[in-house]
Amino acid sequence: MKPFEYIGTDSVEAACAALDARAGTARILAGGTDLLLELHRSGTPSPGTIVDIGRIASLRGISLREGEVRIGSLTTHTELARSAVLRSQAGFLAIAAGAIGSPQIRNRGTIGGNIMNAATCADTVPPLVALGARLTLRSVQGDRVVDIGGFFEKPYKALARENEVLTVINFPPVATNSRTAFVKLGRRNALSIARLSVAALVARDARGVITDARIVPGAALPVWMRIPEAEAMLIGEKPTASLFVAAGRKVSEAMVGITGRRWSTEYKEPVLAVLVRRALEICCSNGGM
Amino acid sequence: MKSMTLHTTVNGRACEVEIFPNQTLLNVLRDTFGLTGTKCGCEIGECGACTVLLDGIAINSCLVLAPQVEGRQITTVEGLAEGETLTQLQEAFLDLDAVHCGFCTPGMLMSAKDLLDHTPSPTPEEIRSAISGNLCRCTGYLQIIEAIENAAKRIQQGRETTPH
Repeated sequence: MKPFEYIGTDSVEAACAALDARAGTARILAGGTDLLLELHRSGTPSPGTIVDIGRIASLRGISLREGEVRIGSLTTHTELARSAVLRSQAGFLAIAAGAIGSPQIRNRGTIGGNIMNAATCADTVPPLVALGARLTLRSVQGDRVVDIGGFFEKPYKALARENEVLTVINFPPVATNSRTAFVKLGRRNALSIARLSVAALVARDARGVITDARIVPGAALPVWMRIPEAEAMLIGEKPTASLFVAAGRKVSEAMVGITGRRWSTEYKEPVLAVLVRRALEICCSNGGM
Repeated sequence: MKSMTLHTTVNGRACEVEIFPNQTLLNVLRDTFGLTGTKCGCEIGECGACTVLLDGIAINSCLVLAPQVEGRQITTVEGLAEGETLTQLQEAFLDLDAVHCGFCTPGMLMSAKDLLDHTPSPTPEEIRSAISGNLCRCTGYLQIIEAIENAAKRIQQGRETTPH
């Protein structure tokens, strides 16, 4: 690992000041499960300065206040996976966090790091996009709130400024008539990187008719997005096997429309359709959260 | 790069050591403290051989920078036994042949300790999940799972027979 300057901070203000003074030559260290991998790699140049925000206590925790779920950016994946608030208010985010890496990785890795690292396989991001989450970014200039939907430019490129720290992720809880699901396909169960994933949310009225549907594929597109053409097929309908198969195909079609046909398309096209179908089935069964 | 003084508690002893910020916790444990029970395997957080407890929670010490543990408590495999007296968990690993080549054993023990400290009567599924971040290339997983199950029983029995 190349030498660097290390700055430990215990307040967001101190972290912002340190970043602002070194804009462009500093990296933020939170849990370290992505940054240390990068620094370990031979040939990685020195990051210049590392600003460690890991001990800022105010950036941890999950709360439900005034009709909003609020998650501090340093909340670990273990804390997300075990959170009673998330299990009742946004179940698929808890499931997605629990599907990351291993217990050791989940004990250190943070939701903020997962978002800011912006790997296309980031497991917490598809549910957050489906939830319409908002991100609060703090700098010496103050707070800036952005919609997660437009926050990513391309793989590994979040649109944060060099002097900004992600502090809070918040979103409205899912409606009581909604169920959510997160399904992930990896090469094995533990320590797997998502080859493909799907976050889905389905709301139904008293008659069982679908009134809201949100589908966000993961590791499928350069940036995350809902697939409105597939969602629209579901609204106003009652769940059926053929409807879900058709919606799955529609999502695959949208993926191919965006990425074009690549070497992996032959595999991803049918598999994504099946994952969408499974996620929708879970939402409309007792397994949905 | 300037060295810095790290204050940390390792296996119950408060310590003060000089480190460089680009050292990992794993490097400092092995090279500065001489605690070579913690193994260096993949250095990318996949094998779990470097697992130690940070404030009682299992983590990969290869993915933690040494300055990140300022003021915190570390427990390594050397911190389990009291002198020559092994813990129930270690005894169970020996009795049930859960040690083959032994390279994964320190990490397995630390993951198992985190599990049993927080979940005294784990299900087989919880045991499998707890060691899912630890690779055993001798593939002695069944014995390891049985040993952890057995250790949970021994610890429970110990609690029941110990007068309060």
